Formats: sequence, structure tokens, C-alpha cells
Amino acid sequence: MSEIKLQKISRDYGLGNFGVRDVSLEIEEGEFMVLLGPSGCGKSTTLRMIAGLEETTEGQISIAGRDVTRLAPRHRNVAVVFQSYALYPHMSVRENMRFGMKMRNTPRDEQDRRIAQAAAVLGLEPYLNRKPAALSGGQRQRVALGRAIVREPDVFLMDEPLSNLDAKLRGEMRQELVKLHRRVGKTTVFVTHDHVEAMTMGDRICIMRNGRIEQVGAPLEVYARPRNTFVAQFLAAPAMNLIKARLTADGDKVMLDAGPISGPLPEREAALYRSAAGPGLLFGLRAEDIQTQPTPGAQAFQGTVSVLEALGPENLIVIESAGQTLSARVDRHFLPKVGDMITLYADLAHMHLFDAASGDVIAREA
Amino acid sequence: MGRRILSHIGLILAVTIVLFPILWVLRTSLVPAQDSFSSAILPSVTLDNYRALFAEKNFGRNYMNSLIVASLSVIVTMPLAAMTGYAFARFRTGGRLARFATLASQMLPPVALALPTFMLFRNFGLTNSLTGLTIVYAAINLPFLTWILMGFFEAIPEDLEGAAMTDGATRWGAFWRIVLPVATPGIMAAAVLGFILSWNEFLFALILGGSKTATVPVALASLQTSNGVQISNVAAGVSLAILPLMIAAKFIQKYLVEGLSFGSVK
Repeated sequence: MSEIKLQKISRDYGLGNFGVRDVSLEIEEGEFMVLLGPSGCGKSTTLRMIAGLEETTEGQISIAGRDVTRLAPRHRNVAVVFQSYALYPHMSVRENMRFGMKMRNTPRDEQDRRIAQAAAVLGLEPYLNRKPAALSGGQRQRVALGRAIVREPDVFLMDEPLSNLDAKLRGEMRQELVKLHRRVGKTTVFVTHDHVEAMTMGDRICIMRNGRIEQVGAPLEVYARPRNTFVAQFLAAPAMNLIKARLTADGDKVMLDAGPISGPLPEREAALYRSAAGPGLLFGLRAEDIQTQPTPGAQAFQGTVSVLEALGPENLIVIESAGQTLSARVDRHFLPKVGDMITLYADLAHMHLFDAASGDVIAREA
Repeated sequence: MGRRILSHIGLILAVTIVLFPILWVLRTSLVPAQDSFSSAILPSVTLDNYRALFAEKNFGRNYMNSLIVASLSVIVTMPLAAMTGYAFARFRTGGRLARFATLASQMLPPVALALPTFMLFRNFGLTNSLTGLTIVYAAINLPFLTWILMGFFEAIPEDLEGAAMTDGATRWGAFWRIVLPVATPGIMAAAVLGFILSWNEFLFALILGGSKTATVPVALASLQTSNGVQISNVAAGVSLAILPLMIAAKFIQKYLVEGLSFGSVK
């Protein structure tokens, strides 16, 4: 068992300056948990607190049922993969991998066996006698992973391990890591600011802001039901379109007035949001929920194309409409010119509604 | 091609300007005393000046004194400077005040400390002893070397220690097994600088030393006698004095270059 339990943990730097504040999170045995958030949100600090590299000023951390809050890093049986890889520059790849086992008095033949196995899995066999300086970024990344694997720790902690790689390699390593996690099956905490990594790798994701947790859940669940505007916007690129809105209940109907996108809500949404009728709302719609063809329940609106990004598999267009800027993700064959006035359709069946003041979602059914 | 030749000519010229005084000292040490001031390059070659230096002036003893004092002071200072520099770099020990105090101590003219030091050491019976000189040199070098090493430790990524500590090392183990080996170029460079500073030090060696404990700079100064400067002996002494520095520089050239380019650790 190697579940991780964070109970109201805080990192207080003094003078009311918190790196992490009252964070509670349970990470299950074998789970791949992604901590996601912008720079300075406390995700790396949380990871370092789990590792014991950062002091936990309040709260309790337990790993595999054992309170480790005050234990030194070496007694927590965790392995960390750092963004900088932190390979020991004066040691060869083999010695880098051996170091942790040597520190733990693993028998020499067992050390050799594990190094050979990890090197085979990670394709590092030709480089075992090289120093880190003689390796490429991708190879260093693998060595950092290998060094963690051979230790056979209870928990893997990864602090943005892919962010120093180029885009192609990052994509490959993402898949490699997921495969590796499936094979090793160890509890993993993965820190990233990249929503694509979070969506594709995590069993669950934990979105953080200002040292606190905003939302925890399975990637698609969080994507489909963001708890507030921050999560809604952070978990996608382009970010969710948000427009100041007002709802008016009119008999059976509920009318939406969100600048360019105005009209009656579909039946289900009308029932759902009737009680929220009034001003002070934010209407949210993801870029892919703006379509080029009419569908039942979709609300037509017109706008001028200001940017067109042809990405290949799809196009991103930015539309100016009634003083609002909206992003849409459309079919690759839909290629308007910049300056064209076009008609698009907002799929209100996938709309989100937030309180404009707090940013919190207006409750909708599960 | 033309540019390369030009730059080589420039370099040769620069090297000649830098090396000429040293070569001329070497030349003066190798010619008979009466030719010292002649402009002939090598009228005749003799080792008499060196022989006289050792036979008449007891230079061997001075040389050993310098070697012992400079080496011992470095040996005493380096571990302290390394640990202090590390504490400053990693834990901000003592805050900015401690850092400033370290640097400020180097701003004090040594002569201001000479008299109090002499009186203190006389009370402890440390004048005219190599132990006394070693202590003074260690004390003088400690802040300077701490400062240099602090910069070097700051350039070593903290994650390296984090990795070592999660790998099973204690904080001390991470320092000993990871930080120190990675910092070797800086430590070697600092050690050589410390050695050179002690080797060249004159003021305290003069004040605290006696005839038995005179170091090379004091011995060389004593060659300015009432009968004038014994230039051929001085030249021989200076040639010998720069010898260990050149040997040290040769052996640790690699470290010196790496070490002085702080922040080069990747």
C-alpha cells in the first residue's frame, strides 16, 4: 500500500506568505495524480513537501499509512524526478542509478540487476558509462527516470519532468511515462503547468491556484464540469469563452442575453438554470462548442473573423462580435478569410454558467 | 589568414610584454653578480647566486617556512571556508549582515590589525612561531575564501542535493558525496588563491616572525642591505619564489579556469 494522504497541509514562509495553504488531498494506491496550475500556484511546493524537501509548517502528510510529516526525505521512500533532472554530473549514468541503492545498502548483484533492467526498459544500455554532460536532453530525462525506478520507491514524484524537452520528444515521453506507470503501477504525483499533459496522463488531476486546491477529479469530468472560471479557463487552450450574461425567466422559457449570443435556452438548460435568472452571470462556452453548422438547440450569431490559425487537423478562429472576442475550434475545411463576416452556432446544450462576482459555477446536474 | 597572422603577432607581443620582466629576473639570477645590470642577454651562466642564497642566507629554511605556513593555512582554512560558504549559500545563515561582515573584513587595511595581533600573539607566545603565522593566514584567508566558495556553491543547483537526499543521503552526505565533488574546481581554485595569498604575505610575516620563522618575502626584503640591494640574490630568490606558484598553476590550470568561471556548473 502506498497511498498518500495530505491533511490540511500548509507551507508558511512567514509574514502571512503561504506557498501552500490548507491543502487536503488523498491519492490512492497506484494512482497517477497530476498537480496542475500556473507558476507560483504551489504545485511544486506541495510535491516538495511530500518529498520532505520543503518543510510542512502545518498539517499532516502520510504515505502508506505512515505519518511522514517530520521525517527526513531519505526516510520517506519516495523518488523524485526533477525538472532539471538533477543528475549527478561527476558520476556516470550507471553510478547515477546506483547511488540511491548504495545509500540503502541494496546488495551489489541486486543493484546490477535493477540497473540492467531499467537500462533495457529505457533504452539506456549504450550510455551506461557516459557522464550526463555527454547525453542529450531526452537521454538525461531517461536517466533521471531510471534513477527513480531502480530505487523501487513507494511513490514517484515528478516535478515538470517534460518541460525541458522539445515538443516532439515531450509527446513521446508522455506516452512512455504512462506506459511505464502502467507497468510499474506505483503511486505517482506529477506536477505540470501543461493542461495537455494533465488531461492525457492523469487518472485524476488536481488544479491549484494561490496555494490552494481549486478542483480535483478525473480529467474529462473536470473538463466537462469545471467548478469555477479559473478551472474552466486553465484547462483548455484556447481558454473557455466567457461573456457577461443575464438570464430572464419568461413563462416556460428562459432567455439568455450574453452579448452576441442571445436567445432562448434549450429545454433542459432552461429547467436547470431557471432559478439563477437575473444579472451578474458569466456565460461560458468552449471553443469546440461553437459550430459552423446549425444543430438543434444551437444559437446562431454573427461575427467578424479577426484571426485564423490553420493548425492542420483543425482551425482556430477568433471572432469579434458585439464587442466580444470569441474563440472557436472548427473543421479544417472551414477556412474563412480574416475580415469576413460569418455566421456561427453556439451549442447551448454544452453551455456553462458562472456567478460573475465569485467565478463559481452555477450548479448543474451531474 | 592575414587576420590570423595579425592576431598571432598581437598575442606574441602581449605575451612578451607580460613575460619579459619575469624572464629578465630569471636571466639576472643566472648571470654573475657583476653582469646583473648589463644589457647583454646571457654573458655567462652560473648558479652561484642560488648557491650563495642557500649557503649564506639560509634561504632553504625560509623556503620551507613559506611552504609549511602557506600549505597549513590552506589546509586549515579550506574545510572551514567550504562549510561556511555552503551555509551562507544554502541556508542564508546570518542573513545579509553576515555576508556583509565577511566582505567588510577584507576592506580593513591589514596594517590596522598588525599591532593588536602582535600584542595578542605575544601574550600567547605565538610570535616567532610558524603556528602563529599559520593561524594569522588562516584567519586572513577565511573570509575571502568563504566569499569565493559561497558564489560557487550558489551556482550548484539545489535540486542536486534534493535528489541525493531523497536517494537516501543525509544533508551532510549530500554535501560530502555530491556538492563537494561537483564543487571541486571551485575548491581547488580557492585553495590555490589561498596558497598564493599566504605565500606572498609580507606584513604579518615581518611583524610576527623572527629569524627562524622568516618566510620567503621577508628573506627577500632582507636582501636590501646597507650595502645596497643584492640584486642577483634577489633575482634568484624571486625565481625560486614563483616556482611553486607556476607548478601549482600548471597542475590545476583546468580547475582554475573552470573554478574562476563561476556558475559554470550545469
